[in-house]
Amino acid sequence: MSSDERFDDIEAELRALAGSLDVPAPPPEQVAAAVRTRLEAPRPVKRRRRWRIVAVAVVALVAVTAATPQGRQVVTAILRYAGIELRLGGDTPAPVPTPAPLPGEREVPLDEVAGQVAFPVRTLAALGEPERVTVADGGRVVSMFWPDGIRLDQFDGRMDPFFFKRLGPPFPDEVEVDGVTGFWLPGSHPLGYISREGGGEVPLRQAGPTLIWQSGDVGHRLEGAPSMARAAELAGSLR
Amino acid sequence: MDDDEAIARSLEGDLTAYEVLVARYSALAHRTAVLFGARDEAEDVVQEAFVKAFRHLRTFRRDAGFRPWLLRIVANETHNLTRARGRRSELTVRLSATAEAKAPDDPEGAAVATDRRARLLEAVRALPERERRAVVCRYFLQLSEAETAQVLGWPVGTVKSRTHRGLARLREEAGHELG
Repeated sequence: MSSDERFDDIEAELRALAGSLDVPAPPPEQVAAAVRTRLEAPRPVKRRRRWRIVAVAVVALVAVTAATPQGRQVVTAILRYAGIELRLGGDTPAPVPTPAPLPGEREVPLDEVAGQVAFPVRTLAALGEPERVTVADGGRVVSMFWPDGIRLDQFDGRMDPFFFKRLGPPFPDEVEVDGVTGFWLPGSHPLGYISREGGGEVPLRQAGPTLIWQSGDVGHRLEGAPSMARAAELAGSLR
Repeated sequence: MDDDEAIARSLEGDLTAYEVLVARYSALAHRTAVLFGARDEAEDVVQEAFVKAFRHLRTFRRDAGFRPWLLRIVANETHNLTRARGRRSELTVRLSATAEAKAPDDPEGAAVATDRRARLLEAVRALPERERRAVVCRYFLQLSEAETAQVLGWPVGTVKSRTHRGLARLREEAGHELG
């Protein structure tokens, strides 16, 4: 018996097995309609040009060429938005090698968070109760963690920036979140924290794709969603 | 409307023509996403893949098939998802509950057949990732070697050798278990 003949029966069995796999799929017409709806919606990518105009306007205000202590990264534009300072550079910045926690970060039960921070704290209804909640830097920042690396930070967005992010291309996309304009940062990027004590900068870690937006006076950053659409959907469930 | 015509009209911005393509390949796209490990996010992955496919339709070479081109996008989207989730690519699919009901007059024989299928699925699950991807494409998605090469981005020779090694391993497993 040649090996190919011996394979024939296992091949036949595999093909038969293929028919018994439980692979649910929604009705094709429904998928087609959903895709069409998405294609007819305004494209966030097209708006990237508007973002550049915003960035240029901001540069006029804070024209800065800064050299950071770590790597003399040339910063070509700074945008302060929702308590986050976005530092746009020409090249993709070097990643943060060692992650660090936020200053004074400690875990608190969800029902005790409200008493420890100065702004209204909400949660992502779409994901249910978070696995873990922390409060950091004397109640300036609340972080919630869900499985699969999803993380929501909430902080007072009226004050000076709390976080800084270094970004090379691709630059952020504008996206509508819960009726306001947010930004989707599609790539992995270095994230740091500007502490209350003396405004010192603490490099934190390499952050994944993140959605940032401001709702009322509270700044938000949502990290770990697999796509901009999913991030916006999760953000829309903030209650 | 065949694929060629639907693509030509989609390229002119005809979304109704594109809906025809989406409906036609929706089930296979879901199957691909699920078999490559998208789990309960398969629907998101598939929608995203179809949106991307439409936006990149100009890069589609008309002399090649739409099916492998689309499935490559689905496979990449699934890969991006599992990576963003910090998961390994796994075959999480189950046997459907209706498999047993196919031989109502021979429940015992059907149970044995179902058991053998479950073991074979387990063996496919346990294959090294590359061999498993090759086997999934060739037998669970029933793609040709050339299509598999396009979907996985491998040379055809690599598809052949990995499929061959995967089958040899499965054959060995089946031999051990059932003598």
